Amino acid sequence: MQNTLALVVTTPPNSNLTTSAINLVHTAINNNIKLVGVFFYQDGVLNAAKHLSIPSDEFQTLKQWQQLNSDFDIPLYLCISAAEKRGLSDELTDDKSNIDAAFTVSGLGELVELTSKADRVVQL
Amino acid sequence: MTDLTQVNKAVAIVNTQAPFSCAAGKEALDATLIFGSFEQAVSLFFIGDGVFQMIGSQNATSIEAKDYLKTFSALEFYDIDNIYVCQQSLTERNLSTNFHIDNVQILTSAEFSQRLHEHQVIYRF
Repeated sequence: MQNTLALVVTTPPNSNLTTSAINLVHTAINNNIKLVGVFFYQDGVLNAAKHLSIPSDEFQTLKQWQQLNSDFDIPLYLCISAAEKRGLSDELTDDKSNIDAAFTVSGLGELVELTSKADRVVQL
Repeated sequence: MTDLTQVNKAVAIVNTQAPFSCAAGKEALDATLIFGSFEQAVSLFFIGDGVFQMIGSQNATSIEAKDYLKTFSALEFYDIDNIYVCQQSLTERNLSTNFHIDNVQILTSAEFSQRLHEHQVIYRF
């Protein structure tokens, strides 16, 4: 049976731990480990900021998350109360929401769900 | 939705930071209470500067911080009664055991480690 992994990201996009999280997802995919989801909590929610603009010669975290979501159907769950505390909101109209569309707005209940579902949980 | 009652997995929430300089403590407590409300086995650990979260008579409002320590009283309501504090961390910081909640177990480093290893999932804040 395929092993499952849940990943919890608690660091902002400019942290190297976020890069490690993305690398971990790629390695899991290459090793036939099923990612049941990535949960973004604490400063990790800033990864979902749509208007993030990182200099082009630096690691593009947002693009990486978008690709993981579109190419491999990896769900990206955002804790909305942690996000709103940091200026992100989905209550603005669609074209004005500052949360990237690759992310699914959710809450801590999803963290409980992922924790119980996955064979292994990793937090970065 | 997965039937959570079928899953036998204990979650440890490890607190390593002081209460009011950043949101980690409050966000750890929020997560703990959600695990509790889903009737999951969850324990709270305090080590390093995290032990400052246990100390009573703190005046959060004097620095415009929300006194989330009051919310610890809700742990009882969710039957979360595994609360562990590292004795060495208290000693290193010259802190007394004048805690703001009861039912706290003070453990030596070895006991703390052993208890932590009894959990299948560890979240660190």
